Amino acid sequence: MSNEIWVLAEHQDGKVKGITFELLSGGVEFSKKTGQKVAALLLGYGLEEATKGLLPFADKIYLLEHPLLSPYTSDAYESALLPLLKDHQPSIFLGGATSIGKDLFPRLAMRLETGYTPDCTELSVDEEGRLTAKRPLFGGKVFAEMVFSGARPQMATVRNHTFLIHENLGKSAEVLSLPIQLDPSSIKKKVIKVEKSPGERVDITEADIVVAAGRGIKGPENFKIIEELANVLNASVGTTRAVVDEGWRDLKDQIGKSGKNISARLYMAFGISGAIHHVLGIGTCKTIVAVDTDPNALIFNYADYGIVGDLFQIVPALTEELKKILASEG
Amino acid sequence: MEIFVLVKQVPDPEATVKIKTDTELEIENKYFTNFFDEIAIEEALRLKEKFGGKVTVLTADPKRVDALRRGISMGADEAIQIADPALEGSDPFAIARVLAAYLKDKPFDLILAGRQAMDDDSGIVGIALAEALNLPHVHSIIGLEVDISRKEAKVIREVENGKEHLICPLPALFTCQKGLNTPRIPLVMNVMKAMKAQIKKLDLVSLGIEASKVGSPAIQAKVIRYLPPPKRPPVKMIKEEFPDNVRTLVRLLREDAKVI
Ligand SMILES: Cc1cc2nc3c(=O)[nH]c(=O)nc-3n(C[C@H](O)[C@H](O)[C@H](O)COP(=O)(O)OP(=O)(O)OC[C@H]3O[C@@H](n4cnc5c(N)ncnc54)[C@H](O)[C@@H]3O)c2cc1C
Ligand SMILES: Nc1ncnc2c1ncn2[C@@H]1O[C@H](COP(=O)(O)O)[C@@H](O)[C@H]1O
Repeated sequence: MSNEIWVLAEHQDGKVKGITFELLSGGVEFSKKTGQKVAALLLGYGLEEATKGLLPFADKIYLLEHPLLSPYTSDAYESALLPLLKDHQPSIFLGGATSIGKDLFPRLAMRLETGYTPDCTELSVDEEGRLTAKRPLFGGKVFAEMVFSGARPQMATVRNHTFLIHENLGKSAEVLSLPIQLDPSSIKKKVIKVEKSPGERVDITEADIVVAAGRGIKGPENFKIIEELANVLNASVGTTRAVVDEGWRDLKDQIGKSGKNISARLYMAFGISGAIHHVLGIGTCKTIVAVDTDPNALIFNYADYGIVGDLFQIVPALTEELKKILASEG
Repeated sequence: MEIFVLVKQVPDPEATVKIKTDTELEIENKYFTNFFDEIAIEEALRLKEKFGGKVTVLTADPKRVDALRRGISMGADEAIQIADPALEGSDPFAIARVLAAYLKDKPFDLILAGRQAMDDDSGIVGIALAEALNLPHVHSIIGLEVDISRKEAKVIREVENGKEHLICPLPALFTCQKGLNTPRIPLVMNVMKAMKAQIKKLDLVSLGIEASKVGSPAIQAKVIRYLPPPKRPPVKMIKEEFPDNVRTLVRLLREDAKVI
């Protein structure tokens, strides 16, 4: 057993994703208690830049480079990772609760017959390296604290913003390039195209700040004022199912039970009534602001700050106020 | 096409869920067919309408068969319940093992599941079943086009800030996400018929599964404690007139919450 803490690195266009830095920061925090080494697992092709980005965040980088590992498919990643996981039996293996982590970890855990807790919002370890994972059930109505039996690794996928990124971990990783054999016939799926959503904004699940409007916005053209506010805050734009069903916004921006769960540092809801289906998706946001004309709107029960008012008045004024302040700070 | 659809009856999002003891929940008796599973049923029916064949709905649940009846009322041809008291307390991996034991010698072109079940919210059963059956899978699909002569499917799946287009050979397993289709509402007459439809029932012995492979003995990650959601401090309503309320909000976000 290698007794290490492993993190599956995610990267795009040479850049390592925020979630990976968060998980490595968390892993290093754990290692102070357990004395374990922290390793990033970096898979893909053409990984120089990503490797460099990871150096200060881990004790080791296991590099698995092969043309078939780019772009990501669960088939290729699984073929590459399974022998390694069986060989090393790390103590802990973490990934993001992302389109990659959630796709890959169930297959690995099934094959390895080990424990896996998906979509965690809190993790801790004891001195022996035993992991306790906390995760929402029923869309966040209750949380479960979970522990693992003897099988290793203890696997978990973790939501964005669960750990803070520590920029100064004082690490300089040793890079271990591993030989890799991939049988092309084991890779059955083929990615033919990745269609990027228009605009520069990051996905609402990854965003630090999310501003959203519901049916109170009255029409798709009015989202312009929300977009302007988002620009000032460098935020992403979310919405409700009612708006998506009206065809005003794309499904990818829907927050809630049948959409996405977000864990933003700041969430602002304008003209959103606060149906249970919606608020289940914002339970792990740090600060929540609600603006609604109806003083009895349920959304106020979940907010930290509330204003009873007309979003068409408040949003532009808020944008202007923020512009002024942020400009004066340069 | 021969299609199996994995379905589960789950508590309605509006059902109250209370913590009874550290490791026990009390769930209001208000259930519905998992939202994403209805999308999976609908997709299977559309494929059958296009290519012919058969749709079978399948659940591993000793108690609830309503999801199967929902499937039948929508138009599925057959319903199968794996029912065994030993299933009680199984984790998603055990459910996947049980489903795999049933499906391993069945002929099929496609298995459809939901993206996740709205109770445990795991998103494990479908993908783990694909692993057990050595099938390729695509998770969280929002587009599907089957090419029957080439025995492959063009699928679109949702990823962060975009869409991934893939080609996947059949047989395969896909988990369905909102956006793939809008499930049909069954006719009342068909709902009535489905109440009387025959459901084939199987137990673990007939599948050759030992009881130690399911239920709580097989769990690798177990719940030690249920907790209520983290409590939020009471809302602070900003009651000043416009535009003072906006200024106050900005000040609070900067000085109090320190988020901007
Ligand atoms: C199985 C299921 C799953 C669901 N999943 C989701 C989900 O994932 N996400 C989701 O969001 N919903 C979901 N829903 C739908 C949910 O129940 C609500 O219908 C929906 O969230 C309401 O959206 P809304 O708040 O935009 O609209 P409404 O409820 O119509 O609220 C609009 C609000 O805008 C306010 N308003 C109007 N004018 C103004 C103004 N000028 N200024 C300020 N405020 C104004 C009104 O007072 C009101 O509070 C789901 C429902 C079901 C049954
Ligand atoms: N007991 C079950 N029987 C049949 N299918 C199931 C069962 N549990 C889950 N599924 C299927 O697997 C999907 C994901 O479930 P889960 O892994 O529990 O989130 C569901 O949407 C169903 O399609």
